[in-house]
Amino acid sequence: MSEELTVIGKPVTRVDAYEKVTGQIVYGYDLTLPNMLYGKALFSPKAHAKIKKIDISKAKALPGVVAVVTGADAPWTHGEAVKDKPFLAHGKVRYIGEPVAAVAAEDEDTAQAAVKLIEVEYEDLPVYIDPEEACKPGCVEIHEDYDGYRKAPFMVRGAAPNINEHFKLRTGDVAKGFAESDLILDEKYYVPIIQHAAMEPHSAHAQWDKESGRLTIWVANDAPFRALHEISEALAMDKEKIRFINPAQGGGFGSKGGLKCEPIAVALAFQTGGRPVRVKFNREETFISTLTRHAATVYCKSGVKKDGTLVAREMTIYWDAGAYAEKSPTVCIRGSLPAPGPYRIPHVKVDGYAVYTNKPVAGSYRGYGIPQGAWAGEQQMDELAIKLGMDPIDIRMKNIFVEGDMSYWGEQLHAVGLKETLIKATEAIEYGKKSPINKPGLKIGKGFACIQKPTRSPTTSNAGVTVNAQGEVTVFAGTVEIGQGCNTILSQVAAEELKVPMDKVIMHQLDTDVIPYDASTTSSRSTYHMGNAVRSASIHAREQIMEAAAPMLEVGVQELALGDGKVFAKDQPQQSLPIGEVVKRKLGINGVVRGEASYTYEIGKDLDLETGHSDHASAFYMYATQAAEVSVDEESGRVRVLRMSAAHDVGKAINPLNCEAQIEGGVVMGIGSAIHEELIIDATGKVRNPSFLDYHLVTSLDCPQLIPIIVECHEPEGPYGAKGLGEPGLAPTPAAIGNAVADAIGIRIYDLPLKPENVFWALQKNKKSAA
Amino acid sequence: MKKQLNLNVNGQDYEVEVEANRLLLQVLRDTLDLTGTKEGCSIGVCGACSVILDGRLVSSCLTLAAGCEGKKIETIEGLAKDGKLHPLQQAFIEYGGFQCGICTPGQIMAAKSLLDENPKPSEEEVKEWMSGNLCRCTGYYKILESVMAVVDGKTDPNYAFRKRETTAKIQSLDVYKSVAKTSSD
Ligand code: FES
Ligand code: FES
Repeated sequence: MSEELTVIGKPVTRVDAYEKVTGQIVYGYDLTLPNMLYGKALFSPKAHAKIKKIDISKAKALPGVVAVVTGADAPWTHGEAVKDKPFLAHGKVRYIGEPVAAVAAEDEDTAQAAVKLIEVEYEDLPVYIDPEEACKPGCVEIHEDYDGYRKAPFMVRGAAPNINEHFKLRTGDVAKGFAESDLILDEKYYVPIIQHAAMEPHSAHAQWDKESGRLTIWVANDAPFRALHEISEALAMDKEKIRFINPAQGGGFGSKGGLKCEPIAVALAFQTGGRPVRVKFNREETFISTLTRHAATVYCKSGVKKDGTLVAREMTIYWDAGAYAEKSPTVCIRGSLPAPGPYRIPHVKVDGYAVYTNKPVAGSYRGYGIPQGAWAGEQQMDELAIKLGMDPIDIRMKNIFVEGDMSYWGEQLHAVGLKETLIKATEAIEYGKKSPINKPGLKIGKGFACIQKPTRSPTTSNAGVTVNAQGEVTVFAGTVEIGQGCNTILSQVAAEELKVPMDKVIMHQLDTDVIPYDASTTSSRSTYHMGNAVRSASIHAREQIMEAAAPMLEVGVQELALGDGKVFAKDQPQQSLPIGEVVKRKLGINGVVRGEASYTYEIGKDLDLETGHSDHASAFYMYATQAAEVSVDEESGRVRVLRMSAAHDVGKAINPLNCEAQIEGGVVMGIGSAIHEELIIDATGKVRNPSFLDYHLVTSLDCPQLIPIIVECHEPEGPYGAKGLGEPGLAPTPAAIGNAVADAIGIRIYDLPLKPENVFWALQKNKKSAA
Repeated sequence: MKKQLNLNVNGQDYEVEVEANRLLLQVLRDTLDLTGTKEGCSIGVCGACSVILDGRLVSSCLTLAAGCEGKKIETIEGLAKDGKLHPLQQAFIEYGGFQCGICTPGQIMAAKSLLDENPKPSEEEVKEWMSGNLCRCTGYYKILESVMAVVDGKTDPNYAFRKRETTAKIQSLDVYKSVAKTSSD
């Protein structure tokens, strides 16, 4: 339909606004269930050890304690890509923070007191902190039974110990490429572990009803259908017996997919005689026992011609998986594949290794492996340019992906809005123009970085859209409102297709008993996949309404149109019926028209495990450029971001206000990861800064001038041309800031974060070598 | 040991019996079921638990409930009066000052305590005051814009909550103002 869009593309306010600004909305940890018990876990104090003995007798004897469980009561394991993670430790522990036992009691204090009464005897095993060390020959396997685990078919086991995934990309011949190059740079880059630090700590509620055999789990999980599958696979329980209900989610950024508090709550729920249990982590527990972002060591070697043409790029990336595989295999694949950057490069070789270590589990984090690769690749692009005496813009322009290019992973690219993002982002901070500030001891610099990001593919979204006799529209979609605004976006889609006002659209609460399957709310896939599904379901409902209305209005279906909640005859608009009235006349006062649809992006050939090639690796690609202006205080080493532009190719902005919000939030999170954040883990595997006092989040004072820029490069398969946006917001940020810092002080820093002491020592070292 | 307490929350008196060591946050959330006040860090850093006690902004996770007897406690639940949103609540909607919303009650209470005291703070003052309230979603920009919209009287006077188009425009915070400060701090 080429009709004009009424609400798509408009900055409508969010549909969840009222509940949120009044404090009425109920988040996971706000939920109290009737007759609820309080669960608390005992966490391992050892990074790698055998469990010799567990004594729960004292805990059990404490008045008010209803259940105490250990691995013996929960002999199940789970895991998305690798089924390697016990509900509660089985015979050994692999990181400090691993749940070993749990208690359910009448109140939280009693549960906590009982946990302290559990006695565990351990026998130490060698602890591996550095992934490059952990995969040296002769190392003990952290997972001695690894080869026996159920694994996803796309996985390749590394040859060395403790590698849970080895991703290979092979294009051309890098040796030949380097031989043909005029300039070669070879450097090592490091990105530390950081954490999502969603403001709502993790929690889960579970209830097991023996009579019906049903297990109900209330949790703010961003992929309830996947979690349901994982639980059902682990327990060998029919999927129909399991129900997930999503309360509101107070942020996630990747930390709330998979299973965290859920297994503990489930293990307890089987022992409480049908009473529901809540397991709620405090902030410290969230830091040590949920999820982190992969630290990465990136070896990056590039060869270029004198004129800046990229000839070859070779990258070896060690992804620090922590103690369990979680999403490491797919982070390794989807982070390593595009790591060489959005450029035409004839000779490419990438080896990505996800390596087990005795540290908290790493998993999905907004950006899904892109920031780590970009930190290396995009800084090296600048270094190459500087060494060649070129402008960093020119070297990129020379190599950057444009429409129709063949990528180095064998896919022909379309809808590539990258160039435009580069131009707009750099213009917005007047890149190339000197700052008017001239203060002794204060250096100002500018820099930028480009990224490409694939989305998880292939995946499916289903949706239902109903219209009742009152003209109200209900959307049944499995996308989780994690703060990103999906409920608003999907409401807009339904409102658009049914031509009803926004306040007539309701998003149904996410409940797996009612809502049709959706893959996950991850990977920036929802606007595209679920947007398509809701759009088609709305059209399906619309068609039924039109068909019913035609005889009522005595015109052919072709002569009908929709507008303002009414069906009318195109040439006689006064001849109309409200859509609710149509439903009523057809189906009665309680009648409901139901539209349904399913959307799947089919990939072509599967990823070739030897070359990493695929002709359709991703449903779409998101492109972005961010540019930063920073100041560096030479005395203290303090870096401040003064302004930052972020130009993102979103395909089509369904809601520009929401797009801006996503970009701003992403950029500021990225600034945190660039300058402040680092989860510090010592040689024994202990997290040294598991609180907001010691783990520094960005505050309003660090917030620079932000310039979000929306670029729309129409994606033909996407709804109204849309792609996705949530994840890339922080992906180029650290690299852009790194380039700006190098521009300011003339020194390249290879390790994140750019915290004052790191910058200070880099400045000192430079002074010394100059002297 | 349990203790009987009389608490005045949002103008309403409550009689509760709780352990003497209970924190105001726990009593609000667990005893009175006023879960609009959130818990993010439990150590007074994040501001999610911000409430106003006798006109002063406090972290309820650091405040003993027993010390609040005879004082006026204001929480997010008391802000909207007779179905009419507080101007700050309205501004947060119009200017998109939230995403997941979990920090929002704390942000709004913090902003309210500032504006109650000083209805015309400068942008810098707002930025500084709000630095005690962490937000992981928004990047702060739209939060600051929302507060400034109230300060500058830029919210819609005829506002009634409905799903609607917003008037929000990106305004630019002066970039070099903060630079001038850089070298001195
Ligand atoms: S919960 Fe009180 S300040 Fe964070
Ligand atoms: S809106 Fe999510 S933490 Fe502020």
